[in-house]
Amino acid sequence: MKFFRLSGRRKSIFINVIAIIISCIFLFPLYWLIISSLKPNAEIFQSPQTLFPRQIQFDAYYDQLFGPNSIIRPFLNSLLIATCSMIVSMLLGIPAAYGLARFKMRGSKIFILTFLITQMLPATLVLTPLFLIYKGFGFLNTFLAPIFSDSTIAIPFIVLILRPYFLSLPKDLEDSAKIDGCNTFSAFVRIMLPLSYPGLITAISFAFLFAWNDLIYAMTFINIAEMRPLTAGIYHFMDMYGTEWNKIMAYAVFLVTPVIIIFIFLQKYIVSGLTSGSVKG
Amino acid sequence: MKVMRRIGKEREKYYGYLFVLPALIFMLTLIGYPIIYNIIISTQKVDVMTIRENTRQFIGFSNYIDLFKDGLVIYVTKNTLFYTIGSIVIQFIVGFGLALFFNMKFRLAERLRGLIVISWMVPVTVTALLFKFMLSPSNGIINDILMFFNVVEEPVGWLINESTAMWGVIIANAWIGIPFNMILLNTGLSTIPYELYESASIDGANVFRRFIYITIPMLRPAILSVLILGFIYTFKVFDLIYVMTSGGPVNATEVLSTYSYRLSFTIYNFSQGAAVANILFAFLFVVSLGYLALINRDEVM
Repeated sequence: MKFFRLSGRRKSIFINVIAIIISCIFLFPLYWLIISSLKPNAEIFQSPQTLFPRQIQFDAYYDQLFGPNSIIRPFLNSLLIATCSMIVSMLLGIPAAYGLARFKMRGSKIFILTFLITQMLPATLVLTPLFLIYKGFGFLNTFLAPIFSDSTIAIPFIVLILRPYFLSLPKDLEDSAKIDGCNTFSAFVRIMLPLSYPGLITAISFAFLFAWNDLIYAMTFINIAEMRPLTAGIYHFMDMYGTEWNKIMAYAVFLVTPVIIIFIFLQKYIVSGLTSGSVKG
Repeated sequence: MKVMRRIGKEREKYYGYLFVLPALIFMLTLIGYPIIYNIIISTQKVDVMTIRENTRQFIGFSNYIDLFKDGLVIYVTKNTLFYTIGSIVIQFIVGFGLALFFNMKFRLAERLRGLIVISWMVPVTVTALLFKFMLSPSNGIINDILMFFNVVEEPVGWLINESTAMWGVIIANAWIGIPFNMILLNTGLSTIPYELYESASIDGANVFRRFIYITIPMLRPAILSVLILGFIYTFKVFDLIYVMTSGGPVNATEVLSTYSYRLSFTIYNFSQGAAVANILFAFLFVVSLGYLALINRDEVM
């Protein structure tokens, strides 16, 4: 709103305060998530609710870590699925983005279009056929099924976000690298990749987060309790202990924390990924 | 030397494919082929029995006809449209408001705007559980707040009543979608040159007129892409509704994706599940074409 210029110190303080209030209201659900995980369940069922716990306790966390349904195993499963999916999608997605940016070839426009369209498709569309296909290959109840399927979310995103980066790098760089004895491949790895690191960081973090946040693939393709990642785990936990909200919220904290950590460190890249990945497509 | 270089150029052409094809084949195998397979399944009789006996009978459009005879699919499509449009309207208006607000130059603008994006990053499963908790009639904070301000007199079972359940999931979805709208519109706003506003105000245009005659037209591409992308992302919702209500109470929040999932993986009628997914696909396909036409015109590709 560049309609009026801010004048005066008072006005500036006023606007900053309003902005803080808006942000607090908007982010209140996250505050509520953490606060509720620190309350005893009896306090949660008091009416009206206490905005700050009368007594802070970590029982819910202790229970989730060392109780009978420990979250350690699903946490490791999530980590494994997300890391592998990240690696698969980087290995396939980065070269594809580079190829589409650097080489003139027939059909490149159709290739880009293919990635663009696949990015918009819902998981539900391919869920039934993939279930039957994976069943045929014996992939059901293995980590391969969610790893592969999560990669299909990340690869188009990586291609679409990195291609402009590669396009913006001067072609001369690659040529001079070749004069110095690099071939196409080593010029790509040694020169072009390090130069496009901001895009790479965005791509890597999103590739990880897509898989970390996925529920539908993990839930559909994995039916063994010990192999569930956190997202599917918390869903089943809620099914069994639907009213123990402090425990559910503590579980959710474990699921959210890595996301928040990634967000804090890479905020700049993530916001840029949100814009370039979706506007430019 | 010249010949060598030409040979080099020829080879370069194929390098491109070498870089692109692995990803392309991967995507075609795991997305392209399943889409076609999905269409085939939807014209067959595929359930637990036929899978065990490995006989799949071609039955043409029977699955679709049965779905429409049953009628639930029409109700579910209406639900999906209501959910999508309701969500988009709320998140666009709030997101636009926030974008305008944070476009003012003040010290904390950038930092707080970045912070708000966090709700878009939170795993949808968590958002769904969190809102289910906050909307609960026995211990939900939202009822407490509404009662405090005398909006309601007694706790409302937001997700339990058929008439309010849809609004419950729309609110949760808006919380996810608002930052997305805000950031995209904010980026659009930052490209509008300040001089335009300046000269307009010299010409005597007030805030309101400047908004109508400068901001809106200049922002048109950003607005369109936010609305279309919002439609695509909202229309295909699954996690949020599945976790919050599983489509209930009595189908009140059932949308195409949860309905398809229920048909395939609760009652194992895979062919009807596939048919519903194809209906979902048809809607998205049309809208996606619109989006592609839009970005193609803007020469972003």
